[in-house]
Amino acid sequence: MDTLTPPKDAIEVSKYWTWMGNDGIGRTKTKPACEVKVSDAIENSAAVTALFTGKKFPLLIDSRNIKSMEREARKHFSTNGRETKINSFAVLVKSPLSRVIGNFFMGLNKPPVPARLFDNEADAIEWLKQYL
Amino acid sequence: MASIKKNNDSDDRVSEILDVIMSYARLDFSKKTSFKGDDALDAIGAGVNMLGEELETSTISLKEKEQLLKEIHHRVKNNLQIVSSLLSLQTDNIFDKKYLELIAESRNRINSMALVHEMLYSSKDLSKIEIGEYIDRLCRSVHQSFSKPKSNIKFKFNVEKELFFDIDYMIPIGLILNEIVSNSFKYAFSVNKGQITVELSRSGKDYKLIVKDDGVGLPKEFDVEKDGNLGIQLIHMLSEQLDGKVNVTIKNGTSYQIIFPEK
Repeated sequence: MDTLTPPKDAIEVSKYWTWMGNDGIGRTKTKPACEVKVSDAIENSAAVTALFTGKKFPLLIDSRNIKSMEREARKHFSTNGRETKINSFAVLVKSPLSRVIGNFFMGLNKPPVPARLFDNEADAIEWLKQYL
Repeated sequence: MASIKKNNDSDDRVSEILDVIMSYARLDFSKKTSFKGDDALDAIGAGVNMLGEELETSTISLKEKEQLLKEIHHRVKNNLQIVSSLLSLQTDNIFDKKYLELIAESRNRINSMALVHEMLYSSKDLSKIEIGEYIDRLCRSVHQSFSKPKSNIKFKFNVEKELFFDIDYMIPIGLILNEIVSNSFKYAFSVNKGQITVELSRSGKDYKLIVKDDGVGLPKEFDVEKDGNLGIQLIHMLSEQLDGKVNVTIKNGTSYQIIFPEK
């Protein structure tokens, strides 16, 4: 199962591709060896918000290629105190680096919407479906 | 050969990570681990870097809070001094000795509290002050307010070293001390000569404060409940606030012994 190859019409910003899947789950994927700064985080959330068509949606974040994420970016992504159009998110990790970054993000920032880490795409999608 | 090189590489990387961790332990957040690949050591390095960022933010926030607390103590002290100065200004138009004394007493009480705040914002941890220095400064201040020409009233201090108290203790202790010492200045020494002794020590979980003078003492028939002025009532009220017990002895002067527990 691979639902994480960006389609041609994906929104492409500096460090991410973002698009809406046919299953109603939003997707955002980091580019290879991605070092995420707060400006990249803001750019990414603008792209995610652009997918909104009147109903909040679940989001699958593919962070398997991430190399680092600065503190301000983690804070921004935690969505605390920020209006977002998502109702849940799943973070896909694989490498030791992406696992550490993912765990750090989840452990310290306590996102206000349901959020979980996964190392398997199918499991992540299955979990997100409950928020459709 | 290749395996030895790999081990050396790992050792270098572990040393670098340890070096960064030790910098963070010294609250120096200028260093970061470098990582090029995506193995376990790189992941640990990335985790250390993120931990450093979080610690740096918490440290800055703590420093800002300390600064704010310092500022608050400073302002409280300044405001108390303004109240004291306003009371002093009011004495310009008052000529009745009784009222002048009442105002002077109030000013001394305010000053004893202002001194606590002044010493707190100058102290290292902002929450506790060394009581020995406070007692010394407070007694000098009370002495100055009662000083008369050719006065030869001396202090003797016997305060255990390194006794630190927080504001919950310091305000009542300061006010109690102010009242007892003021009473000694007002009533004990008919010839402007004598000694006031202040002792404070710790025994187990209790503190013992003794303030005594070698003056004429309170009249033998003096009843604290009936005859006590505001100062004496305050000594008892504030001792209760410390969960302490007051014992007054009148023999070769007046001696107050207050035993209060550690909270």
